[in-house]
Amino acid sequence: MVEQEFRSDKSGYMLMNKPGYPRVSSWPNLVWVIFLMMLFITILLWGVSFLAYAPLEEMAEWAKTPNPAKAPWYFIGLQELLVYFDPWIAGVMLPQQILIGLILIPYVDITPTEQGHYRWSQRRFAVAYFTFGIVFWATLIFVGQLLRGPSWEVYWPIIDYDLTGHGWTREGVALKQGGAKLGSLSTGTGLALLIGFFSIGMVLPFLVTKLFPKSRPVQGLDKYLKELGYIKYFVVQSHVLMMIATVVKIVLRLSFNIKYIIETPWFKI
Amino acid sequence: MTEHQNQRKTPVQKTFELISALLTDNPIYKSIFRTGYPSTLLKRMAVMRSSFYMHIFPTKVGEHGLRLRYSWCMGGITFFLFLLLTLTGILLMFYYVPEEHRAFNDMKDLRFMVPFGVILRNMHRWAAHGMVLAVMLHMMRVFYTGSYKAPRQFNWVVGVLLLLFTLLLSFTGYLLPWDQLGFWAVTVGTNMASATPLMGYEGPFHELLGVQVDNDIRFAIIGGTRIGPNALVRAYVWHCVGIPLVATLLMIFHFWRIRKDGFSGPL
Repeated sequence: MVEQEFRSDKSGYMLMNKPGYPRVSSWPNLVWVIFLMMLFITILLWGVSFLAYAPLEEMAEWAKTPNPAKAPWYFIGLQELLVYFDPWIAGVMLPQQILIGLILIPYVDITPTEQGHYRWSQRRFAVAYFTFGIVFWATLIFVGQLLRGPSWEVYWPIIDYDLTGHGWTREGVALKQGGAKLGSLSTGTGLALLIGFFSIGMVLPFLVTKLFPKSRPVQGLDKYLKELGYIKYFVVQSHVLMMIATVVKIVLRLSFNIKYIIETPWFKI
Repeated sequence: MTEHQNQRKTPVQKTFELISALLTDNPIYKSIFRTGYPSTLLKRMAVMRSSFYMHIFPTKVGEHGLRLRYSWCMGGITFFLFLLLTLTGILLMFYYVPEEHRAFNDMKDLRFMVPFGVILRNMHRWAAHGMVLAVMLHMMRVFYTGSYKAPRQFNWVVGVLLLLFTLLLSFTGYLLPWDQLGFWAVTVGTNMASATPLMGYEGPFHELLGVQVDNDIRFAIIGGTRIGPNALVRAYVWHCVGIPLVATLLMIFHFWRIRKDGFSGPL
């Protein structure tokens, strides 16, 4: 309904042509902002470039593998995920799913009029989910960049190594060695767990609306689910479950030393 | 201007006005900047329409989208950093040859021999990191203000692709200095490609397609079974020509759509 009203608006889709919309001339209002921005960024960049050298290490040598060898910071989150997943998940499937999920955002959104401001009251779920993803991503980068040393063990900045130095330990302290014995779940348990997680996760919201129809937040959920429709719901919920599953796997690995949920001769999860 | 204000003009003001009139009120100035100084609303409209560079902007903008606390100016900063990177990148290309035995020495030359070489490379490096950061913040801003919603859905999709190409631009540039840092970072990064299902030699089900170490997707990306001279040339060509071209085409589309739909704002 909202969608229809929105489409039948006389101005069409062009907000800026809407009669009575508060507008000002681009000169000097916009041009001024852009000019100051350019000036500020140029000065900032010059300042940084005068104070800090771009890193340059020794010449590349195939025979000399550094330990640790780290990816650039924006990809280090994926490298950190390698601790918990095989590379085909951490390096291929998860980034692919992040990109697809980001692309799909506008097409599964059902509050088209909630735009142009930072009010979140009508889109609490969307904001919470997106924020969780950003914080998760930032945490992985933080851990990978600052807390991972040789053999990808945890090294604390300042306590274990100097931020300005090149060594990973103090003098006379040996490098860390992880001694955790990792195990995997049996195929049956793992398969049941995985299928159970995704199928229960898929029906859980509907189950909740049936079980507690009187509760206020649940009524809101019911309304949201009805507006969303099954296809959009499936797209959204599968991505939500994938993100939760990633976190659950990390917790399982860290607390119970579980390396794989499912182990087959062809692939391992 | 009222007569009352006219009377109160100081000699400095009068001199300034005389000089500015001399500078702007002549045929040469008017042949370049056709409208003269945009002091009235009419001239302000005209100056945006008649200038090639200004024409990328609308003559009038929504007041709402101008506020810094709304837009963070992150899209503009991203594009400006892209321009700075293009400029410094072109200058760096004068001094850099993507050849296994020369690349690293060219880095040393930039540091110690080339006039302003240090500042040139530093600017390129820090602007690259800045652009990755700015493009991420831009995406966050657009999400939190709901600016991806109709009519801007597809522009969000283009934006996500631009985020990807920004990361790839930065990543391909990482290898070019040919030092241990870039070499091993790119080794780690490209090794991930070998785990692609079906198409990577370490990925699940690769046997089905007869994929091996010397014919998988990683081999296609780096032109060998390990990072070597081929990978260096490939990174260089993608970094300096391929990806900037694609990214520029996407940017043209991105900006065109913003121009058509206007700045986002409350409905």
